[in-house]
Order: sequence, then C-alpha cells, then structure tokens
Amino acid sequence: MNDDLAIEVRDLVRTFESRKGFFFGEKTHTEALKGVELNVGRGAIFGLLGPNGAGKTTLTKILSTLLLPTSGTVQVLGHDVVKDTSWLRSRIGLVLGGERGLYNRINARENLRYFADLYGIPASERDRRITEVIERVDLTWAADRRVEEYSRGMKQKLHIARGILHRPEILFLDEPTIGLDPKSARETRKLVRSLVVEGVTIFLTTHYMFEAEELCPRVAVLSKGKIVANDSIAGLRSRVGGDRTIEVEAYGFEDREIDRLKGLPGVSKVAGEAFGPLMRLTLRVRTDDTTPETVQGLLPGHPELSVRERRTSLEDIYLDLVEEEAQ
Amino acid sequence: MTLATSEASRTRATGASLRLAILLFVADPQWLVPSTVAPIVFGLVSFELFRGEGPYFLTYAILGAGMMSMWGQTLYGSGWATGQDRNLGTLEPTIQAPTPYLYVVLGRIIWNVVAGLFGGLVVYLVVVLAAGGPPQLPNPLLFVVLFVFVMVTLASVGVVFAAAFVYSRYAGFIQNVGEFAFYIGTGCMFPVVLLPFWTNPIALLFPPTWALDALRYVSIPGYAGFGWGWGWDLAGAVAVTGVYAAIAGTVFTRVERHVLETGDLSDY
Repeated sequence: MNDDLAIEVRDLVRTFESRKGFFFGEKTHTEALKGVELNVGRGAIFGLLGPNGAGKTTLTKILSTLLLPTSGTVQVLGHDVVKDTSWLRSRIGLVLGGERGLYNRINARENLRYFADLYGIPASERDRRITEVIERVDLTWAADRRVEEYSRGMKQKLHIARGILHRPEILFLDEPTIGLDPKSARETRKLVRSLVVEGVTIFLTTHYMFEAEELCPRVAVLSKGKIVANDSIAGLRSRVGGDRTIEVEAYGFEDREIDRLKGLPGVSKVAGEAFGPLMRLTLRVRTDDTTPETVQGLLPGHPELSVRERRTSLEDIYLDLVEEEAQ
Repeated sequence: MTLATSEASRTRATGASLRLAILLFVADPQWLVPSTVAPIVFGLVSFELFRGEGPYFLTYAILGAGMMSMWGQTLYGSGWATGQDRNLGTLEPTIQAPTPYLYVVLGRIIWNVVAGLFGGLVVYLVVVLAAGGPPQLPNPLLFVVLFVFVMVTLASVGVVFAAAFVYSRYAGFIQNVGEFAFYIGTGCMFPVVLLPFWTNPIALLFPPTWALDALRYVSIPGYAGFGWGWGWDLAGAVAVTGVYAAIAGTVFTRVERHVLETGDLSDY
C-alpha cells in the first residue's frame, strides 16, 4: 500500500442475499458493488457521488468496518478492513446521520460521554473534549437538553460531534448536511474544511453537487455499483465535453437546426429536454469559438429564443455521467 | 491518536454501559411498573395464594413472586436492551466503536441484575408487611447469597439473548415465544422435578435451574429437588455459568461477524 493513500480499494464486490416467499424459502442476490477500484489520498476531502441505490452507503460501511466485502481487498490507513478491524475502529469516524442513531431520552452531553468511554478517550480529557466538539457544532446552548427535543438538523450536528469526538484520522460523512438549514450547512462545510487543515482525511458522500464542488478537489461517481468516473472536477469537466455550457430555449427546434448547432466549433454535445411547450438544448462547449451570439445567429425565426451561457457545473457533469452509464 | 482497547478501557466501556442503562431507566418512568408496581402486585397475590400452606408459606410466596419479578427484568431486559439499540439505530455506532460489544452488554446486564434484585426486595418487603413479620429461614445468609447467585445465572442466559438480538431483528419473536417455556422449564415458577422427566436434562443446560434448586434446598426444609443437595446444585450452577461465560466471547465474535456479513445491523 502506498503511504500517501488513505484508502485503497481493489476489485471490491459486495453481494446481498435476501429471502422472500413462503417461509423465506426463496433466495435472491443483489450485487451492490461490482468490482470497485478506488484510491483516496491522505489529508484531503474526497467526494463520492451517485444516484440513490448506486452503492454509496454500502461502500462507506465497508470502508468503515461495518460491513464485510464479498470479495476484493480494502485497505484504510494501510490496514485491511477485515483483518485489522479493531485497530481501524479507533481511528475511523463515521457519521451516518439521520433521525436515528442517538439515545433520545438523554441529553447530548451524556450521549457523547457514553461514546467517549466506548472509544477509550482518557477520562482526564473526556469532558473537555465533549465541550470542545459541542462548541464546534454549535450545540452548546442545547447540550443539556434531551435529544428527543432536538430538530433533525440538531441531531445531525450531534452525529457529527460524535464522529469527531475521538479525533479520527479519517472521517466518513454520509450526507452530512442533509436536513440542515443553509446557515448550519455552511458552518458544517466550514467545520469539514477545518478538519482537513488539522490533517483529517474526509470521505464525503453527498447528493448536493454544489457541496461536492465547494469541498472536494477530487470526486468519484458511483453508478449501479461501479465507479464510472474518478477525477478532479476540472478533469471531469473536460471528460464530459467542456467547462462552458450554453442553454438555448424556444418552442421547439427542427432537426436541421440541431444539426447546425452540433457542427459549431468546440461543441462536443447537444442534449435536448422538454419543459411543457418549451424545449431546452444544452450545448457543452470546449473552446471559446462558439458564443451565445453565434448560437443566436444560427437560429433565426424564434422570436421567443433565449440563450444564456454558464459554467458547466458538477451537477451537469454528474447527470451526463450517470446518463452515459445508463445508456 | 492512539486509543487503547486494553482491559482498562473494556472495564470503562462496561461502566459506561451500566451508567447509560441507569440514565435510560431513570429517564423513562414506565419502568416503575415492572420494577415497583408489578412486584407489589405479585407479592400480594402470592401471599394470598400460599397463605396457610404450612410453616414455610412465606418463603414460597417470596420465592414465587420474587422470581416472577426478577427473571423478566434480568433475563428479558438483557436481550431487550440490545433490541432497543436496533430500534434506536444505536447498535451500528456502538458496534463501530473499538470496544467489543460484549463489554457493553455486560454493563447492561449488571444493571438488570441490580434492577431485578430491587424487584425481589420489593416482593420481600410486601410479603413481610402483609404477614406482619419475616419468613422462617433456616439459613438466612446462605439464602441471600444464593438469591443473588440466581440473578447471576439469569444474567448469564441474558447474554445469550443479547447475542440473539445482535444476530437478528427477529430475536424478539423467539424471546416472546420462549420466555414462559424458560420460566417454567428452569424452575422459576415451581420445582423442575415436577415436570415430565424428559424435560429435566434440557433444563439442566440452563444455569438458573441449578441455582433455583439450590435456593429451594436452603430455604425450604424437606424440599425434594433433584436429590443431590444444594452443594452439588451450587457446584453445577457455577460450572454451567462458567461454560456460558467462557463461550460468551466466542458467541459475540461470531455473531458480530455474521451481522457484518449480512449487513442488517441497522434493520429494525
């Protein structure tokens, strides 16, 4: 294993067996991960994107020792997740989030104290550490309230506090800002960035593309159990056909008009989508030769025509990649 | 940072789990029913049932109602706590912590033993108040020691129930089906020797059977149990409990591996 890598995954397959029918006699197998290959460098934020059911949580749970692989090898911090489980668990933080996973009838401080003891945090440091993480997630004002009185966002913050309580070397965050209000979400992203500065490796799964774009220098896209892309965001932009996107909207286009747009210099892709009577064409553009004005000039006879340019977002890239994989 | 998973940290984990069990108990007033109200009711009913049944009727009343109050709290409670972890979604982060889950279960079991003894004490006080005096006990000290030991044997079976709850979310079904068979089969309700002979070898696989037989020997003169006396009963209870303790670690390691294979830790 390369010392610069925090995670190294080779040909990872994970199959789930489920039973149904009369007396559960009928077995079905679902392959959630199909030969995943992945490297994640130390001390950075790595983003894992993918549609629902792509296998993101399965992969996160395998990496965090909560699930065994069916085949393949998985190393985290240079240690095998199957053989060195105990060693790894004290160095891994996991935030699965959601409404569950906390003792609702006791307060946040007591929840954290319980887990601090399970993680063997020295008793002399424990209370100070609890106060510190509560402050970091901005829950000081509610630290002595029962968790059952917490909103979803507050519970999410408490999950994060628990995840960083034992100062892990690598932190797995599964949708960390889900359910948070914009201010709290921004603070959480700030917290994530500060953890990286402290040397923590972050493995983040998210549905929020802007979040991945803001936080992750490198992302992978998981679709139907396979990594379909693993690159920097700039690299992915170039892969899907350019970092400029021109959107054209009108009440329908003729085939020859679309062909004309496809023939423009630097245009790598033209995709159409209908919005009621309106049709939107999205052009990925690699060079500066084609501008909104050029496009407008090619489409006379559309008084309602609207043309605008924007930077190709990670969301565009993600949708292109997932669509490509589906085809 | 380096975190120890030494014996000291395991002991701390057990302590933390015990503390959590107490906090959850205090935070949930419905527990007053099985811990206090139910023992009062059982004690009064038992007193009325056995009233006038010879000189040792108070002992019968205390043992019957006491076991009824304690066995559920200790045995059922141990498995139930793990079932609760499944329901709350806390089983996953607890298993993900570096301390083996067995040490967490031990903390809860210690609390369940204490809570069970509290139920037994309530029964004792109720019966004594109703009778206007304490029961005749030939050897009160031995009675108390064996009474506590019965709880330990119940707890050892509780470990198995806890493992079952880690293993599968359907453990509650098995526990619900098996609880009264266990209650009768191990002699909590009445001596096992009153049951058909073929049930006796099965009953002897469970530590409480031995311990309860010993308890009856020392508290009821003339009691005819398995016939080998309370000393052998106690030795048998210690041996079978020891076997349970010895295999507990292996059982939990295997159960944990199973759930990591199936991936159903978060199912409830």
